[in-house]
Amino acid sequence: MKVLVTVKEVAAVEDDFEIDGLSIDDRYLEYDLNEWDDYAVEAAVQIAEAADEDVEVVAATIGPERSEETIRMALAKGADRAVRVWDDAIADQTLLDVNAKASVFEQVVAEEEPDLVLTGVQAADDALGATGVALANRVGYQWAAVVNDLDYAAGDDVATVRRELEGGVEEITEVDLPAVLSIQTGINEPRYASLRGIRQAQQKEIAPHDLSDLGLDAETVDGALELTDMYEPESESDATIFEGGAEETATELANVLRDKGVVGE
Amino acid sequence: MSEQGLLDVVDSEEHRMIRNTVREFCEAEIEPIAQEIENEHRFPEEIFEQLGELDMMGVPVSMEHGGLGGDQLMYALVTEELGRVSGGIGLSYAAHVSLGSKPIEMFGTEEQKEEWLEPLAAGEGMGAWALTEPGSGSDASDMDTMAVKDGDEYVLNGTKQFITNANVANSVLVKAVTDPDAGYDGISTFIVDPENDDGFEITTVWDKMGLNCSPTCEIQLDDVRIPEDRLLGEEGEGWEQTKKTLDGGRISIAALSTGVAQGAYEAARDYSTEREQFGQPISEFDAIRDKVVDMHRKIERARLLTHKAAWAYDQGQSVSRESALAKLDASEAAREVAEESVQTLGGYGYTEDFAPQRFYRDAKLMEIGEGTSEIQHLVIGREIGL
Ligand SMILES: Cc1cc2nc3c(=O)[nH]c(=O)nc-3n(C[C@H](O)[C@H](O)[C@H](O)COP(=O)(O)OP(=O)(O)OC[C@H]3O[C@@H](n4cnc5c(N)ncnc54)[C@H](O)[C@@H]3O)c2cc1C
Repeated sequence: MKVLVTVKEVAAVEDDFEIDGLSIDDRYLEYDLNEWDDYAVEAAVQIAEAADEDVEVVAATIGPERSEETIRMALAKGADRAVRVWDDAIADQTLLDVNAKASVFEQVVAEEEPDLVLTGVQAADDALGATGVALANRVGYQWAAVVNDLDYAAGDDVATVRRELEGGVEEITEVDLPAVLSIQTGINEPRYASLRGIRQAQQKEIAPHDLSDLGLDAETVDGALELTDMYEPESESDATIFEGGAEETATELANVLRDKGVVGE
Repeated sequence: MSEQGLLDVVDSEEHRMIRNTVREFCEAEIEPIAQEIENEHRFPEEIFEQLGELDMMGVPVSMEHGGLGGDQLMYALVTEELGRVSGGIGLSYAAHVSLGSKPIEMFGTEEQKEEWLEPLAAGEGMGAWALTEPGSGSDASDMDTMAVKDGDEYVLNGTKQFITNANVANSVLVKAVTDPDAGYDGISTFIVDPENDDGFEITTVWDKMGLNCSPTCEIQLDDVRIPEDRLLGEEGEGWEQTKKTLDGGRISIAALSTGVAQGAYEAARDYSTEREQFGQPISEFDAIRDKVVDMHRKIERARLLTHKAAWAYDQGQSVSRESALAKLDASEAAREVAEESVQTLGGYGYTEDFAPQRFYRDAKLMEIGEGTSEIQHLVIGREIGL
């Protein structure tokens, strides 16, 4: 069987940074694999490792050449190969919206025909949180979102998943394959890549595709969303630091809690 | 923000990924316990088990013998990352690889590599190397430990001093005199099995100024009988082997020193931008800014020398001068940077709640082990024709 994992390189921002037009200056960014995707990769690799049959784990990403180093971490952790989609038309977007991403991944799914697609619940940078489900809708797969427990063995026709709902409620659902599951953090414990895994990953394939390779044109990624401004919101919270001994500071804290109405008189 | 050293110039994605992964592991698994294992004087077996699982225990050992097949530069990067969080773990690691494992790979027979190197490279056992004696330190060839041939066995007698990892080791490479009249050419190396060879005893585990999670032992060898196939290389090759071993080993001590300095520097840099006195961050006082900038300068220099020596080693060049220079410079940088880091944190720097004092204690050994700084001057002086 084949498991496709969508992965994304995301930028984390340093504490102090400057906004330059519609983006944050590159000097303040550090790139890493999206946290949720790390769990999705782990889930896929665990399925492959536990399987009696051959399970191929393919990572798919939309990202520039720079992102290969990040994507290679997925290969180091056990994915077999990767597909990377990039195009000038994608680079030109101020914001690649869910529709555009779903269109790209739709073609990747058409090409790879995976039995199971694992995505992260969301990406840490633009946090749209909809790509997985939108993709399922496009390709006509079953889906389950925000999966925090997965009971699935390679070859099964059904995956049993636990989903996190609002308000601390969880549900257990059975999903028929082929399916798209969006994976929540905490579902497993992502491994460290072994150094041998990293070395072997240098030889694994990251196949580059542009839109025309996927039979798409530039308009496909012209989304309905446009990024118009980026700014740091005024912070409304303020912090008070109490200094001194425990007795003194406890009294001060109690006063504040009383003033704010957190505790009664 | 992290300094990247020559790595930027070499620009290998593989090396960078390995450094980043090791750093992630070190920050998550080692840093939180680094002071605790120091205080407890405890060798953290569980950490070394994990290092084994991540394929870190045989980085520069060939894949054929269970290692990672990486180069010396990769090994230096890994060692630096360990030093950045724990000098003690870094020292036990470097001794395991450079002193305990590499000589078996360089000088051993195929059978010896299978039996003794593979478990070390795979992380199933620790390596150790015993040269120093109570009466012979810097003048290491003037040793008293003797190995006498008796039929198809050797019988070893003597005392070895300050042997890293000896009490947790799978094997100890022991230097002993086989021909008392031959001087340098009378020294040989033997693979000793601490667990199964009778007469091998750990007589002291030292309490030290620092590096207390790395065991430093005195060993008594009392009629230790070992089969002749435990001789590493030929009789009389022990001193030449020692020089080659230290050429690689000193690069790892330089890398470890760079890491210790880096850890101390980062603590000082971060603290200096947060701590306010006289109404401003102390980093805005020229005196503190210059201190932190100097730390950065010294580390960059140490790292460049270390990477240059590692690179030359990987080219197969003779590196006696390069590795001595890197070790001399990086160990001095580590001590100076760690001292200034304590100073930068003021009273907090002197407490165990903050890391600089630990780096300061750990750094001092780097100017002593694998040849003191005085001996590095001697080696370099000889190399440049003095
Ligand atoms: C924590 C730790 C771990 C160690 N691990 C190992 C190990 O795993 N295996 C091992 O074999 N050894 C190990 N050693 C031993 C270490 O290599 C020696 O301590 C070191 O080489 C110095 O020897 P010494 O202590 O006998 O000092 P000495 O040689 O007695 O030196 C004392 C002082 O005299 C100076 N001096 C000596 N000769 C000269 C000279 N010709 N010119 C100028 N100055 C000179 C020295 O530089 C030093 O300042 C370890 C030591 C420590 C503390």
